[in-house]
Order: sequence, then C-alpha cells, then structure tokens
Amino acid sequence: MTREELTRKLTEHLGKALPAMSTAGNMLLVKIKAEDLPTLAGYVFNQLGARLITTVGTDRTPLTGNYEVSYLFSFDRADLFLSLKVEIDPANPVIESVTPVIPGADWAEREVRDLIGVVPKNHPDPRRLVLADDWPEELYPLRKDFPYDYKPPQATVAGPRMKKAPEQATVMTVGPFFPTLEEPAYFRLFVEGERIVGSDYRGFYSHRGIEKLADTVLDYNKITFLAERICGICGFVHSCCYCQAVEAAAEIEVPARAKYIRTIMLELERLHSHLLWLGLAGHIIGFDTVLMQSWRIREQLMWLTEQITGNRKTYGMNLVGGVRRDIPEKLQPKIKEVLAKVESESRQVVEAIAGDTTLLMRLQNVGYLSAADARSFCVVGPTARASGVDIDSRRDHPYAAYPDLQFTVPVYNEGDTWARTLVRLDELFVSIDLVRQALGRLPGGPIMAENTEVPPEREGLAVVEAPRGECCHYVLTGTDRPERWRVRASTYPQLQAAPSMFANQTVADAPIIIGSIDPCFSCTERMETVDVESGKLRVYTREELLKAGRAGCKGGDSRA
Amino acid sequence: MFISKWKEALICLKAGRVTLPYPFVPRPTAEGFRGQPEVDGRRCIGCGECATVCPPRLITLVDDGDSRALKVDYSRCTYCARCADVCPEKAIRLGNNYELATSQKEDLTMTVNLKMANCSLCGKPFAPERLLRKTGEKLTGGEFGQEAPEWLSWCPECRKTKQAKALGGVEAKDHV
Ligand code: SF4
Ligand code: SF4
Repeated sequence: MTREELTRKLTEHLGKALPAMSTAGNMLLVKIKAEDLPTLAGYVFNQLGARLITTVGTDRTPLTGNYEVSYLFSFDRADLFLSLKVEIDPANPVIESVTPVIPGADWAEREVRDLIGVVPKNHPDPRRLVLADDWPEELYPLRKDFPYDYKPPQATVAGPRMKKAPEQATVMTVGPFFPTLEEPAYFRLFVEGERIVGSDYRGFYSHRGIEKLADTVLDYNKITFLAERICGICGFVHSCCYCQAVEAAAEIEVPARAKYIRTIMLELERLHSHLLWLGLAGHIIGFDTVLMQSWRIREQLMWLTEQITGNRKTYGMNLVGGVRRDIPEKLQPKIKEVLAKVESESRQVVEAIAGDTTLLMRLQNVGYLSAADARSFCVVGPTARASGVDIDSRRDHPYAAYPDLQFTVPVYNEGDTWARTLVRLDELFVSIDLVRQALGRLPGGPIMAENTEVPPEREGLAVVEAPRGECCHYVLTGTDRPERWRVRASTYPQLQAAPSMFANQTVADAPIIIGSIDPCFSCTERMETVDVESGKLRVYTREELLKAGRAGCKGGDSRA
Repeated sequence: MFISKWKEALICLKAGRVTLPYPFVPRPTAEGFRGQPEVDGRRCIGCGECATVCPPRLITLVDDGDSRALKVDYSRCTYCARCADVCPEKAIRLGNNYELATSQKEDLTMTVNLKMANCSLCGKPFAPERLLRKTGEKLTGGEFGQEAPEWLSWCPECRKTKQAKALGGVEAKDHV
C-alpha cells in the first residue's frame, strides 16, 4: 500500500474529503473529526489490516487551544505509518472509544484519560491504568499547566479498584513482589481447582513521570540518557529509538558508520537479552542448569560490550545525530572471537535442551495465544512471531544499517511457550550473523552528523525491534526540548494479551506464561507516581472459558 | 531424554568453575571504562559546562559571596561521561572506581571551591578568577605581554550599563 492508495481508500470509506493531511517521513498524518474516528480506525484495522502501535495524547492548549489524540497505525509490509489525529475541545474532553473495535487500544486509551484527561466513551474497562488510586480526581499530570514537580495531596481512596473474582473461584495473587519477577507487577489469578478461569492485572508501580520531565526540564540530548535508563536490559534500544524519532522529525542525516555501529550494538544487546531470558525461563521452571549455562555464555557478551562502550550495560553510545564512541579496528578481532564462542556454546545448549522431554512437557501447549488474539491485542516481537504473526520492524520498517543486511525472520505457528522459546533461540543465530555482516561492511567516515539542529513543531515516529518486540518512540519537537515525547515499550501490548494466554491453564504454569512474553514492567510503565492497586486486562467469564476450552483453548474473545 | 541430560552434564563439566573470586580479588575494568567521574579541582575553572549537559543534573554551581562551589552528587551519576566530553579544561575524567556503595551519603558528594574575582567597577564578586584568566588567555591567544581587554573585569551588570550609556550617547546625538 502506498501513501496515495491509503489516502484514496480513507477518503472513499469516509465518503468525503479528509479535512487535513500532511506527511512526515514515512508517516501519513491525517487530521479527522472526532465522530469519524471509530469508523476510520475500525476500517484501517479490520479491512486494511493495519496494526495499532499506540495512541499519543498531547495538550496543545497553549498553541491551538485544544487537546490532541493521535492513533498511530503501522502498515507493516508497506513500511508506512498512519496517524489519525483528533482535536478535542477542552470544554468537552470526550472521545468515542475504539477499544470495542480494536482490543489492543485498551491501555493506550486509558493512559490518555489518566494523563491528559480525554475520556474514552464506552470503554469496556474504565478503571485507572497509570495513576495511583490515591491520586486526586481531575488532576492530569501531562497537561501543560501542571507543574512537573507538583506533589498533590493524597486523595482518600474509596477502595482498591480490583475486578471481582467469579463466584466459586479462589483468588491467587502473583506479586506485587514475586520471586521470579524482578520488577513489581500484580497479577490476580482466579482459579477453580488448578485451572485459571480469569485474571486481573495492576501494574504501573514503576511509573515515574519521565515524559513530563522531558517536556519541561530536560533537553534533546539529556533525554537520550534518560531513555536508555527506561530499561536495564534493552536500554540501547530505547536511546536509539528516541534518537531516531528526533532525527526523523528534524530530518537529520545520520552518517553511515554511526548507523552500522548502532546496528551492531542493537544485535549484541539482543544476544545478551535472549540469553538472559533463556536462563530466566529455565530458572522459573526449576531447570537451573539452563540458567547457569546460558548466563555463563552471556557473560562474555557483557565483557565485550564493556570493552566497546565502557560499560557492560547502559552503553551511553547514542546522541541525536549519531554515536559518541567509535568501534576501533583493534577491537574487531575480539568481537569476532566472542561471537564464535557464543555461537558454538549456544548451539550446544540449544541441541541439548531441544530433546529434553521434561522441558518440552513444561513448555509445549502452555500459554497458548492464537494468531487472531495476537493480532487483536497488537502484540509484537517473539510473542507475535510465535503465533504466526510475521512482523519484525528490522525488515518491515528498516532503520540503521538493516536495509543493507540480509537476514531471516523466524516465525512459528504453534503459539505456545515453546514456540516463543524457539523464536528466541533461532534469533540468537540470526543476530550473530547480523553482527558479522555489519562488521564486515562497516563503512568509514564520521560517526556524528554535522548539523544536529532540531526545528520546532515537527513530528517524528521511530520503531526499533527490541529483543521483546517493537519499541516505539514518538516526538513532537518544541524549542530546546520536545513538546511531547511518548514511549511505547514492547511489553505494553504483550501484557494486554496475558489473560488470553492464562485462559484454562494450571496455576503452576502461570509464572512461566508471564515469563514467556519476556516481560519488562518498568519499560512499560515509565513516567510518574507510585500506586496501590487496581487496573486489569480482561476477565473471562466461565461461559467464555468453557467455549474457549471447547474451541481448542483459543481465547474466545467476545470483543474481537 | 537421557541423551539430553548427558549432553547437559557434559556442558557443565566442560565449563568448569567460572565465577571470579570477587570481592577478595578486584575485578579489573576494561580500557576506556566509565566509572566514577573524577574532578581535578586544580584544573576546574568553574565554567559550568559540565553542569549544563549532565543528564541527571547532579552537578550544580553555587555562588556564595567570593567563592563558587561546584558540587557533584555521585549518588545519581549515570556514568555517561558527557561532563568529561564537554569540559574545556579536561578537568573531569571517568575513572575506574565502580564500588560506590556506602552507608554515608556524604561519601558520595564532592565540592570544588573556586575564588571569585571582583568587578573592577562596582567591586561585586561575579566570576571565578580562573575562568577570567582562561578567557583572557583565549582572547589574547595566550601571548605573553598581551593585555586582556578591560571589559573582562567588569561584571555583567556594569557591562550592560556601560553599553547602554555608550548606545545612549549615540542615540542622543542622533536626536540633535
Ligand atoms: S558522568 Fe554523566 S551523570 Fe555522571 S556527572 Fe558526568 S554528566 Fe553527570
Ligand atoms: S566543565 Fe570542567 S572546567 Fe567547567 S566547571 Fe565543569 S569541571 Fe570545571
């Protein structure tokens, strides 16, 4: 699909001309009337097969007097983004919810409501998502008139906003602090006997207000380092994605060598992340040999990145316009040597565990996610690719040096925890090959763009394939700093699909099901405040589950 | 099943013991490691460049009478080395120390005190002496015997008044 085709189809579907349209890089920006949103969003998602990336709510009252909410879609195979933007009058900040049409919009719409105060009408789950329950009503921290350092008085809480468990079901809690989860997350599992019949989730305990900090206090380059600290595992992804978003907005030409260095670091990061995950997955199911051995293999990569960047994690390499450190010639033999060792040792481990029947029994047919659910919750990364959804931003929206490199995208159709394991194991070897290719073709020249000026009032969107799936950063530029910076980490959509994976599983499998999406809670949460309880994904009714069970455990989504 | 258990056992045996005897034996750092930033108080001229770029904003300049203090709060350092990148005097480098854990928060702060110079017109302290000297050297190309321009020793307010007066004079003439 080209931009022109998309414009034509949207106009045809609407039956009238689109009010306003512009482009920014490979993003088509369409301003639409609020009343046209549900039909257009539904059309784009269901008929045109686009995927919802996220929504962005922005307070534009100082400039236009309105709030704005953008729904960002991706046409993966066409390398095309679409932004459907609605202007909202602050006197009546209500918008028709698209969640009934696109289940994956659930959290994103609640987040806009929490932070900007635009209420999604007819949203199936109107509870708070991001803000703490003791945060006062009608106080929206991302509004421009809200000072970044204001600490509101604690509001009295009517009670935790938790879902009621179905009758006869027992509630089992996982979290907010749980041994196999390094970060706070609170799952409430509703169980009958050993079966999970429903679930509820409350997160955003790590929400720290970084988006607010960025548009009030920091500057373009400072945010790079804050972005890197969103995640302790895939921090480079975030700093790179943020820089790419600013570079896209400002049309900064990044030198080729910098692009290659970013690619090398991204793939080294994926390698260490996947090995880390493999170890954790082993640990969750009590198979500590896998933990010890994969972390031993991984450690070599950590030493390597320390040599390249000066630290084993939080590489601090990116700046808007390029990278800060070069990869010197003398380090290249070392990188190749480590890759060779990691490759042969990982192969041995993969071969050994592939035939391990105990492991297979714990992972096969566990935590099933159908392709239909994967699509409707807009999941990404290995979780999507294990359910037959063939998306990978490195191939679909090529950035950095990926357009020059050859690679395959492993896809499995089984949709279970084992398939998600296989995708990651395959990707280990794809990544090793990618680093080799990039090193082999590493071009000379500068590593930082000459002109890194960022003009105001430009929009930029960038996606980077993190180890956990597509990560997205959106920037609306301002003076000295972004007017709005929005981060959507890869776990954000995956967690929304978790109830679907829990359905009809046994309690003992819950930790590995959570683990199988390789969750990164702090990434997902970013931003501001600490929380008590509430928030959820979706609760399955008994009937739904029985139906789902009969249909081969395929989720049974009544909203899809 | 048994074959894979054998394979797994073999991998473990082959790897042997890989843990380091840390903390009994220090763990060496790589070349170019980014550890605790070390500020050389003798070189710092108090220009504040480092404070401008530090992402967590942990370097602050505090002017108090005739001294300027450069305060560093290591507890929030991200070891990004941006401060070292921009320091015009190469007064900051990231060292090899990564063992910062402490039970005393004061252990994680550092202060450089710089003497301020007084304005030659109004007598108010307004900028570190070293900063003025360095700026003077830069302006004259560091040539021996070359005098730094007079306005360098004026505080910003006095500079402004002087300028306004000069401009005012021109304007007044124009009106005649
Ligand atoms: S290393 Fe980075 S965070 Fe630490 S003092 Fe320097 S600029 Fe600040
Ligand atoms: S940039 Fe260097 S000279 Fe300037 S204040 Fe910082 S440490 Fe001192």
